[in-house]
Amino acid sequence: MTERWPITGVGAVASVGRTAEEIFESLCAGRTGLAPMREFTKDWYTAGELYEIQADTKDAAGQPSTAQRATGFLLDAVAQALADAGMDEDLGDIPVLVGTGLRELRSVERWWRDGDPLTAAGLHFGAALRERFNASNTHTFSNACSASLYALSLATDLLADEAGPEVVVVAGTDSITESMFGIADRVQSVPPGAVRPFDRNRMGTILGEGAAAVVLRRAPRDGAAPRGWVRGVGVNCDAIHATAPDAGMIAQVMRETHRRAGVAPAEIDLVMLHGTGTPANDLGEAQAMGEVFGEDVTSPVMTAMKSMTGHTSGGSGLHSLITALGSMRTGRIAPTITLDDPMDEVETFRIVRDKEASAKVSLAQINAFGFGGINAVAIVEAAS
Amino acid sequence: MTTSVTSSAVITGVGLALPGVDSAKDLLSTVDPAPEPVDPAARIGKKGLRYKDRATQLGLVAAHDALIAAGLLDGHGLKTSLKVAPEEVAVVVSSNFGNLDSVVEVVDTIAKECSSRLVSPIVTPNLSSNIVASEVAIRYTLRGPNLTVCNGATGGLDAVGWALSWLRAGRARYVLVVGVEPDNPVVRKLVGGDRVLDGAAALVLERPADAAEREAPALAECVRAVRTSSVAACTAALTAGGERPAAWYLPEGGAEVDQELLPGADRLDLAPVFGTTSGALGVLQLASAAGRYQTGERGPVLAVCGAEDDGVAGVLIRPGQD
Repeated sequence: MTERWPITGVGAVASVGRTAEEIFESLCAGRTGLAPMREFTKDWYTAGELYEIQADTKDAAGQPSTAQRATGFLLDAVAQALADAGMDEDLGDIPVLVGTGLRELRSVERWWRDGDPLTAAGLHFGAALRERFNASNTHTFSNACSASLYALSLATDLLADEAGPEVVVVAGTDSITESMFGIADRVQSVPPGAVRPFDRNRMGTILGEGAAAVVLRRAPRDGAAPRGWVRGVGVNCDAIHATAPDAGMIAQVMRETHRRAGVAPAEIDLVMLHGTGTPANDLGEAQAMGEVFGEDVTSPVMTAMKSMTGHTSGGSGLHSLITALGSMRTGRIAPTITLDDPMDEVETFRIVRDKEASAKVSLAQINAFGFGGINAVAIVEAAS
Repeated sequence: MTTSVTSSAVITGVGLALPGVDSAKDLLSTVDPAPEPVDPAARIGKKGLRYKDRATQLGLVAAHDALIAAGLLDGHGLKTSLKVAPEEVAVVVSSNFGNLDSVVEVVDTIAKECSSRLVSPIVTPNLSSNIVASEVAIRYTLRGPNLTVCNGATGGLDAVGWALSWLRAGRARYVLVVGVEPDNPVVRKLVGGDRVLDGAAALVLERPADAAEREAPALAECVRAVRTSSVAACTAALTAGGERPAAWYLPEGGAEVDQELLPGADRLDLAPVFGTTSGALGVLQLASAAGRYQTGERGPVLAVCGAEDDGVAGVLIRPGQD
């Protein structure tokens, strides 16, 4: 029998909601998180809107803070996930695996240029997780936009090992850095009006921010129904180009994931597309989906939630996964609100547009691909 | 409180890009108080290094030498070829300060111009902290799992721990582990000191049976990797099987470690040689341990890294061929 691991708790924050539940409701209602930017000097940039979280965060001591935002989002999402799983906040040696694209590089920028305080230990999340959750076995992975699914794959490896832990907390977090936003502003001479995944007129991505966390166990707790199951996570690396994706290697990681999970494309009911709204990324993902799913590409419903949250980078894989769990529970699929004129390569894909759709979802595929050609795909299964 | 990983792996190749050090045997000795910085172009040719940040260049050099030493790579410069299937080789890089220079340069440029106009798009990949791991994979065509650990003081040994996990899970047959930190004004300001490593070390790890099958030299064996909440808990966990280490590598700030711990084991400290080594330390420790065994030492050795307000990682090492 194929191995599977129960997800017993979820938590998330993003521009469209401060809890996993709120985010799901916003997505189904087609609400965007795009708003005038707060964090950066408006006069310096052509672009003026981002998918930011419009609130201060709390630090490890629980005090409101405008600094160390990626850490604040992370602590919030992990606390939600622990509460949802019925766990207390004393983690001890329970592994906490955190995927991030930009760790606390925003704090580095503020420290270097604006004089904010920072120590070397503040670059990653270990000390804050120790202070807040007494967690001593924490891991920060800087794996670009597939980071949280990469972390999920490492968690399943630990749980598959007989000598491994009973429980692992997996999370992803990012706040927007000025360097990454600035370079996008430089490259996008006309700022995209929104993230438009798979649209003929997509003009590039816009950054978002937030965090997501799940509690993953070796086996369900007695008497408690899980939120869903992780069936398998595949990872690889293109090893071809630093920023451009490779459809062939993306197809390969999808096949590898299907093999691990013991599923065929025709059995998959929902695909949470990575869909960043950049010309090359969406093309590569669409080609890989077409190649791997073949005629069955018309079978699953699909959606690309970055049309409402922006690109949440390291957290994006788990944001999609938690949204998929919401769809499994409710039968509601959030729309890709900015998809008006689909590109040829997705002509036969059933991407939900305009408003939410209904579908029964038992198996979902989550895609996440990042800079450096690091690809990760997960298969999750409904609770019942 | 301890989390332990028990399956072992052997080190079959070591690569170094370190100022003043030619061989793993020399890692603990202060050969030259003011060595010349590593010149990556002199080591692997200047082609392919343009626009790469310092950490990436150092990482490429160490990775090259480790892959060659392990017998996985042929050739030199840009004309190298991998001798095994690309999907079988995974990469894990530990670095904390790797791309800080690229990040602050962009925000400085923007503030000076009050515009993003003069920022060069060529630096885009350098703004993501996984740049070293992705460039190493691209240059040597390594298509297995690719991970960047930015985990503070434990990072180098954590990278080794994840390599063991991949080998155990069957996600890779060979894992290239790289620890790298660059020296520049941003790093010096952040750590509050001017003795900062500007270098990299790399290891190739694989299962003992795989190394034996292809007759690769087992330089050292990583028996066990643990994560704990303190240095004392770490040394206790690593010696729980009754091992009596001949020596142990101290974490950064090792001078402050309790003198009562592991009586009889030599204390090995890389800080006097290299200064602050941060995410590279754990990889340097294992490279050095492999070097000790080349000189005929036989006793087990512990490597310990970490900070007690975060977490502590350790690895138990013994000679590769008993």
